[in-house]
Amino acid sequence: MLHFDRRLLLNFDWAIILTVLVIAGMGLLNLYSATHSAEPYAAAFVRQLYFYLLGFAGIMVIISFDYRLFVTANYPLYITIILLLTIVLFFGNAVSDTQRWLNFGFFRLQPSEPAKLVLVITLASYYYRKDTGLGFTLKELVVPLLLTGLPFLLILRQPDLGTALMLIFIFISMTLFVKLKWSTLSVLIGACASMLPIGWLYLLKPYQKQRILTLFNPELDPMGSGYHILQSKIAIGSGMMFGKGFLKGTQVHLDFLPERHTDFAFSVWAEEWGFIGSLFFLACYFFLILMGLNIAVASRDKFGVLLAFGIVSLLFWQAFINLAMILGLLPVVGMPLPLFSYGGSSLLTTLAGIGILLNIRMRRFMTSTGD
Amino acid sequence: MKDHSTTLSSMQRTITRINKIDEAELFLLKKRIDFATYFVIFLIAILIIRLWFLQVHKGFDYGRLSENNRIRVLNIVAPRGNIMDQHGIPIITNRPCFNVIWIREDAPNPEIVIKRLSKILNEDISVLLDRIRASADNPRYMPLRLKEDIDWKTLVFIENNHFNLPGVRIEVLPTREYLHGDLASHLIGYLGEINKEELQESKGGIYQGGDQLGKMGIEKLQEQYLRGEKGRSLLEVDVHGFEQRQIELEDPLPGNDLYLTIDIELQKIAEEAMADKAGAVIAMDVNTGRILAMASSPPLNLQEFIGGISSKSWKSLLDNPLHPLTNKAIQGQYPPASIYKIISALAGLGEEIVTPQTVFYCTGSMPFGNRNYRCWKKNGHGAISLKRALAESCDVYFYQLGQKLNVDTLAKYAASFGLGQKTGIELENEKPGLIPTAAWKLKEYKEPWQEGESLSIIIGQGFDLVTPLQVCQMMTAIANGGIIYRPQLIERIVNIDDMIIKEFTPIADSRALVLPANLQVIRDALISAVNDEHGTGEQAKLEHITVAGKTGTAQVVHLSQNKDLADEEIPYKYRDHAWFSCFAPAEKPEIAVTVLIEHGSHGGSVAGPIAKKILEKYFNIPQAPPNTKQPKG
Repeated sequence: MLHFDRRLLLNFDWAIILTVLVIAGMGLLNLYSATHSAEPYAAAFVRQLYFYLLGFAGIMVIISFDYRLFVTANYPLYITIILLLTIVLFFGNAVSDTQRWLNFGFFRLQPSEPAKLVLVITLASYYYRKDTGLGFTLKELVVPLLLTGLPFLLILRQPDLGTALMLIFIFISMTLFVKLKWSTLSVLIGACASMLPIGWLYLLKPYQKQRILTLFNPELDPMGSGYHILQSKIAIGSGMMFGKGFLKGTQVHLDFLPERHTDFAFSVWAEEWGFIGSLFFLACYFFLILMGLNIAVASRDKFGVLLAFGIVSLLFWQAFINLAMILGLLPVVGMPLPLFSYGGSSLLTTLAGIGILLNIRMRRFMTSTGD
Repeated sequence: MKDHSTTLSSMQRTITRINKIDEAELFLLKKRIDFATYFVIFLIAILIIRLWFLQVHKGFDYGRLSENNRIRVLNIVAPRGNIMDQHGIPIITNRPCFNVIWIREDAPNPEIVIKRLSKILNEDISVLLDRIRASADNPRYMPLRLKEDIDWKTLVFIENNHFNLPGVRIEVLPTREYLHGDLASHLIGYLGEINKEELQESKGGIYQGGDQLGKMGIEKLQEQYLRGEKGRSLLEVDVHGFEQRQIELEDPLPGNDLYLTIDIELQKIAEEAMADKAGAVIAMDVNTGRILAMASSPPLNLQEFIGGISSKSWKSLLDNPLHPLTNKAIQGQYPPASIYKIISALAGLGEEIVTPQTVFYCTGSMPFGNRNYRCWKKNGHGAISLKRALAESCDVYFYQLGQKLNVDTLAKYAASFGLGQKTGIELENEKPGLIPTAAWKLKEYKEPWQEGESLSIIIGQGFDLVTPLQVCQMMTAIANGGIIYRPQLIERIVNIDDMIIKEFTPIADSRALVLPANLQVIRDALISAVNDEHGTGEQAKLEHITVAGKTGTAQVVHLSQNKDLADEEIPYKYRDHAWFSCFAPAEKPEIAVTVLIEHGSHGGSVAGPIAKKILEKYFNIPQAPPNTKQPKG
């Protein structure tokens, strides 16, 4: 039997759970507003609620064992996810020309979502094991590059540009976080500069941007992404300072706003709750990120630091890219807003990440108590 | 239970092992977390500033926009790439075409407007309503097309009355302009409205319902290069659907221009010469495999296909006995007839069954089994060598060769010249033809090969089937020393900035099974066939350029009741097909021309003059008066 230490409970981070609950509350309210007028989506609210309950149960499971178990479990997890990504390419359910879902009857799993978290665990374990403190050379980065590249290509094949890019962001964030040799860093910066969409998409002509995006992302509405972004901007902007009020958004209840309960969920929020509501949402999110980083700082174990940092960067980049896209700062790619967008796979993955953060937090004083 | 505890203890060990802390290193990592925190604050600040800009600074404007949210997106169709001949002379370009479109959301009283439109367009109301119903599933702000290509008068009328026609707009679309009518219609193909399946297949939202795309030929095969990229315009409209201002404009990117290998002058001559006949003409560059002209007669009427062909015209095309829908150059399969004797002779020389000096005796026929195999020349050629046998197309010479030549060996030589297989030209539905082997016969007919059949196939009858393009490809190989070039139709693809996007270089697919010396024998024989007194290809003889060529007369059916009739008395569908294939100049070959006339009777007399016209154009020789000499086989 695993011995359960009372100190674990003392170190349980209630503030994080509370913040997650507040964001969850906002997300569910918003989902209700975005879907209540359309009949086929009426069930979305209930489903999302179930996923939250399932996710919290998952958190309980994840905090019950020592997170350092992930160092041993990382490759089995990695191989499982690669298998799932391969299976989904061949047997997945095709929705609008993309192969993303595995159908389990009651639930369609989108393996690319947990793949993000598994990549964080894998890179954290790898850097933890290999790091000598002297900094990585380019040669030593070949393995993590391959570990990232394989799921990246599989997800790109689906095709799902947004999620694939997310893997690159995770890789860059975590690799920059562990020490690199200066020479390695300069080479990587050169390579990254050409890879970062922010960089290259603005160098290209509009039609080239369009071409690249439509190439990988068939989800783009045939009416053109400019239309979506404009409608999203109108929705957000028309919320003005105080918003139109819950269920009172006009933009969202007409057909103008695409994907209004998934990727564009925040547009609905901003329209109905205005600048004040948006600020409150950002504050909650910022608080969650800060606490996540704080967990990384507080951990006394290098694996814990790497893992916590990886999970926070996963949360942050998804949120930032989603919001920047909705606000018309970045081109449209498929990217959910964690904890807020409708979608079981994304939600469960995010909650599992939160569970791991809590786990690291709970065991920060257990570094030498391996009895 | 025991297993369980051992795994647990090994886990504990791992955990203890990884608990070593390197304080200095942790300190460094934590310093980087501080940096990450500032970075996060920086990015979140950007989001907040943007939110402020949209919601507070510009909030009022957006609020107004959302109140009467009437943003319309109009896609601007890109002009398709032009299609030119090898010298850059345009064959197909674009012209503007004015369509009437309808945006349901902008029309408060659709019934009245539709009624008015029906009068203006001179179109039945039910036709217009059908069109509207067909797009009923689309969002109400999506434009749908009511009538294509309206004339100038209607256009002006609608523009002047547009206040009475809310929701109605005029859309200007580039449409194909066929500068030379149906020229090269089988190669270029036609456009049509995208159908449901094509819409589902297309990725990346490149197409919408109502778009035109290539349905056949080069228009279809090179669609991705020709189509260009749509632009779009975001418009703000008022409650009546009238345009207030343009919010955003993204110009379309015109498609890429295609330069064909076709020489428009040769193509014209070829099509004119074939005007009253059914068949195919091909001219090919012998040193590259480039197609200089490819005509299939009768041509397709491309104008009929604009805006969708009616089922009546489609049926009449299908029922036409001259098969205008088939591109006979690549889809017509005919017995090669005497042209095949080139292969037979090369096989005989290659297998050392005959030498150039071997002489057989032709009495006008040869008995074999219980049949009498006849030469086209009733009185016989007498003692005849290989060269003369080819030039004068003596059948009996080849019957004797056929008795000694194995069917599979002959097939091997034919295949090495590309006969009986697709050439790989970039056009749809190319047919392979057929060169029989013993194994094929056993499989298809469950019977072994009969020796008598060898006598039929060696003169290119019986089971042998080839396409005119295969024959032309074979002739280029004879001319260029045995290289099988893949026939090519496109020279290069050039974008709007005159940059070459794709260039097509000659592809040498293989080498024919032939020795240079044997090839020379054949070339000499083909020169004799055109230039000597008794040659069968005299009709293609030119003044200052040596032409080398071979005639062929392919039997369609073997009806003894027809044998004594004059050509004109035989019913059209039972008349023989006429072949002529040649290259020139014989000393330094440049061009190969192959002509097939369906039911044209005699190769030399019908097909020969057409080849001659093309050669005259190619070598810039002024047209000579028609030759009136008696035709030969």
